[in-house]
Amino acid sequence: MTGPSDAQVIRRVLAGDREMYAQLVDRYRDRLGRYALRMLGERADAEDAVQETFVRAYRSLSRCEPDNFGAWVYGILVNRCRTNGARRARNNARMVADEAAMARASVAHTEERDTLRDAIHWALERLPTEQREAFLLKHVEDLSYETMEQLTGVRPSALRMRVLRARDGLRKLLAEAVRD
Amino acid sequence: MTEQVDPLAPIIAALKEPVALAPDLTARIMASIEKLPRQPVAWWRRRWTVEMTPLRALAAAAGLAAIMFASQAAGRRAGLPSPEALATSPGSGRTQFVLVASEAKEVSLVGDFNDWSLSATPLERDGGNGVWSVTVPLLPGRYRYAYVVDGVLWRPDPEAPAAEDEFGRPNSVLTIGGA
Repeated sequence: MTGPSDAQVIRRVLAGDREMYAQLVDRYRDRLGRYALRMLGERADAEDAVQETFVRAYRSLSRCEPDNFGAWVYGILVNRCRTNGARRARNNARMVADEAAMARASVAHTEERDTLRDAIHWALERLPTEQREAFLLKHVEDLSYETMEQLTGVRPSALRMRVLRARDGLRKLLAEAVRD
Repeated sequence: MTEQVDPLAPIIAALKEPVALAPDLTARIMASIEKLPRQPVAWWRRRWTVEMTPLRALAAAAGLAAIMFASQAAGRRAGLPSPEALATSPGSGRTQFVLVASEAKEVSLVGDFNDWSLSATPLERDGGNGVWSVTVPLLPGRYRYAYVVDGVLWRPDPEAPAAEDEFGRPNSVLTIGGA
């Protein structure tokens, strides 16, 4: 990493140099954005979650241990994705209440499965939220179960079970996508 | 021995690919932050520039001495113990925090009372039995707190009522004096 450390940037922001915060945003936005996109599925939703995360982090910056900003801001994002994902799920449930919309969704899904990437997206979206979260944190973000516990407040034994179920679910869903 | 390949490896590799967010996202975030009030700068973090002439320095020293004398006198009038007395006297609002963590290399106490600082209140290990403790003087009130093991692992107190903070992290709650 070049330039000042996270801790140095945070101390300057807390001393009143607000513009320095952009350095932290640039440093973490893409990694946070990847997790948010995989969790929420839509780029606009992911960008909203990332934006809300950085704004909340700024508001509470004095409570952050400066050497631990990365893990701390990640914890805020995980929570934002839970909240925004639940809200989106409720909206989607209302949207597909009419049959015409369901038919359109079905056609769209068939087309989406043309590529591996779309098949993954399709399968990931069908996992229960808590399994998707555990799978992404473990396998995509490469976090230890101890760090995952720190971020989610869920015990490692439960997290291991969620990851296992997510892997089983993904295998079955992807096999289904290939068959279709 | 053949190495076992994870059947989900291509899926995981695809999910690890970087994503392209809107180039103006940073600008949008900073625009939102510009609308917020500036970070309240704690008085001890502010940069102070004081120009001193010898006469002013003398006056400031006299003023400081007067303030220190007045605050000590006020403390005695209010019956407040001195910090030294607080450290040694029983029943002076001192609370002991204890965590059993035999594998830990270091444990910190973080909470409302120390501004959630990782470095302000380290626990001390009691010999080799894995018991960590620290005693903190606390006024009556309701406090949220947690332990941080080895600088990263956030642990609520297993013996205390639980409460989440706004980031969904599990904390514990301590109420002193029925507040």
